[in-house]
Amino acid sequence: MPTEETHVPIDSDGDIVAARQKARELAAQVGFSGSDLTIIATAISEVARNIMVYANRGEVVLSAVRRGGQRGVLVIARDNGPGIPDIELAMRDGFSTGKSLGLGLPGARRLMDEFEIASEIGKGTTITMRKWTR
Amino acid sequence: MSNRPLPSDLERLQLSSQDIERRKVFVDFRPEDMPRIATIKHLVVRDVDRYGSAFFDHLAKLEEASGLIRNRALLEEAKRLKHEHLMAMVQGDYGRDYMEQRVRLGVLYGRAGLEVRVFLGAFHALMRTIGNDVMKQFAEAPDEGFETFMSLKKIGFLDIGLIVDVLIAERERTITLQQDAIRELSTPVLQLRERLLILPMIGVIDSMRAKQLTDDLLRSIRANRARIVVMDVTGVAAVDSKVANHLLQTVAAARLMGANVIVTGLSADVAQSLVALGVDLTSIRTMNDLQGGLEEAERLLGYKVVYAEGAAPASGRV
Amino acid sequence: MPVPILKQGEMLIASMQSNLNDHDLMQLRDEIAEKVGRFKSRGVVLDVSIVDVMDSFATRTLRTIADTARLRGAETVIVGIQPDVAIAMVQLGLTLDGMLTALDFEEGMELLVASIKGSRQGAD
Repeated sequence: MPTEETHVPIDSDGDIVAARQKARELAAQVGFSGSDLTIIATAISEVARNIMVYANRGEVVLSAVRRGGQRGVLVIARDNGPGIPDIELAMRDGFSTGKSLGLGLPGARRLMDEFEIASEIGKGTTITMRKWTR
Repeated sequence: MSNRPLPSDLERLQLSSQDIERRKVFVDFRPEDMPRIATIKHLVVRDVDRYGSAFFDHLAKLEEASGLIRNRALLEEAKRLKHEHLMAMVQGDYGRDYMEQRVRLGVLYGRAGLEVRVFLGAFHALMRTIGNDVMKQFAEAPDEGFETFMSLKKIGFLDIGLIVDVLIAERERTITLQQDAIRELSTPVLQLRERLLILPMIGVIDSMRAKQLTDDLLRSIRANRARIVVMDVTGVAAVDSKVANHLLQTVAAARLMGANVIVTGLSADVAQSLVALGVDLTSIRTMNDLQGGLEEAERLLGYKVVYAEGAAPASGRV
Repeated sequence: MPVPILKQGEMLIASMQSNLNDHDLMQLRDEIAEKVGRFKSRGVVLDVSIVDVMDSFATRTLRTIADTARLRGAETVIVGIQPDVAIAMVQLGLTLDGMLTALDFEEGMELLVASIKGSRQGAD
């Protein structure tokens, strides 16, 4: 399978829907099943929304990947926004208390198999996530 | 029936260029081995049929190899591939094509039900036959003969490594299929009466099984239009915090679909230790046993309104 | 893309499509609030059976719709969350605690009618 990348620019809230639809298509091609398709689309919705809310614009890059005998999807969500001052705080769950900073990042991490986040103040944020077929 | 390995098989067996190089390192294959093998190339090529026969005649004596020996089509194909194998063994090119050939043979052995221990005996018979002839050729220089045979043996072990990996992979695949089948059997969702489902959970609940359970339950809720699910965990092997969290997630998902879940069979001890581990059990309705759970379910179904948790106080006792 | 909102007696029924963006959701929220006030509706059915992804924003919006409707005297029920969506929501940590949920439109209406009757009796 060729490793093509799909770049989805995140500029307006309609792009969040586009990003998760593209993600669903790609995941289906890779061979993910029903609930995993929704899980992946939901994770992308959260990180894409994060870009919109905190950086106004950015992009989501989707690609199919392989490791050993496993196939999966790689999602990179990047922006050149203000960056996240306290990543540890951002990754803490705030949903139930209502004190959430609005970041769906801890949620996205729970949904995906692998999750890395790199952020620099004034430079931007890059989130890398992977999910593997079973 | 094709004996061609599937691309996914080849990947699983790790035949990237890196992996192939590592396999050579494992058998300590060195540059000096190539010219040594070249000196016995003609010997092997000349008597290739006799060496192939050594392998299959050995198997023919064993009941355990009848899956291969008695299957004419498989046997013919195996003999053809073995012939190719022996020729390639002394050619000196041990790259991806060579490896794929071995894998193809391994896949065939797997289909014929050839066990590793049986295969190894036959392979040894083959190598011994070649070894005898090599020593005869080097009668004047036995040390050199020994070294030469050792070089060939490295390739032999390279081959064994691949064949055994294929047979193991086939075995694992069968086991996975069987495990999946067992999982299916042990998580039936039963419709007791209208609007009421029972999910008796038995055995070990790992993440994969929990995922399947949740899936099955939610689809049953939809298919049966269930309003109440009684989830009985009496038969669950070990309810630790991980299992408990799986259960909580299943309960939460069912609630989103309008179904309330009553968990039964959670002993007071287990419940206490879960609470001590920080698991929040307040969001679930629990009853001591299945009977109690069913009674509670029927009581709830008698009411017209069943509120989602949080909108009305939870009832039931731990 | 506006979400169609139907009036059925004392109920409002809205069926959400699968590709609503944030703007659409906010528009839906405002429209339901307006209509509940105008028609003095007692109940709102939000049908999400063809919604394929429920993320944190969508979930918050549903909650806001329910809260606003309640302030104006209407109870809201969310119907039709699909199994895959429910699983993803739970893993994401999204709950609809305190909100009415039902399997489908019929169940949802039954729930609403009963809850309205209940509150009517309670008020007497």
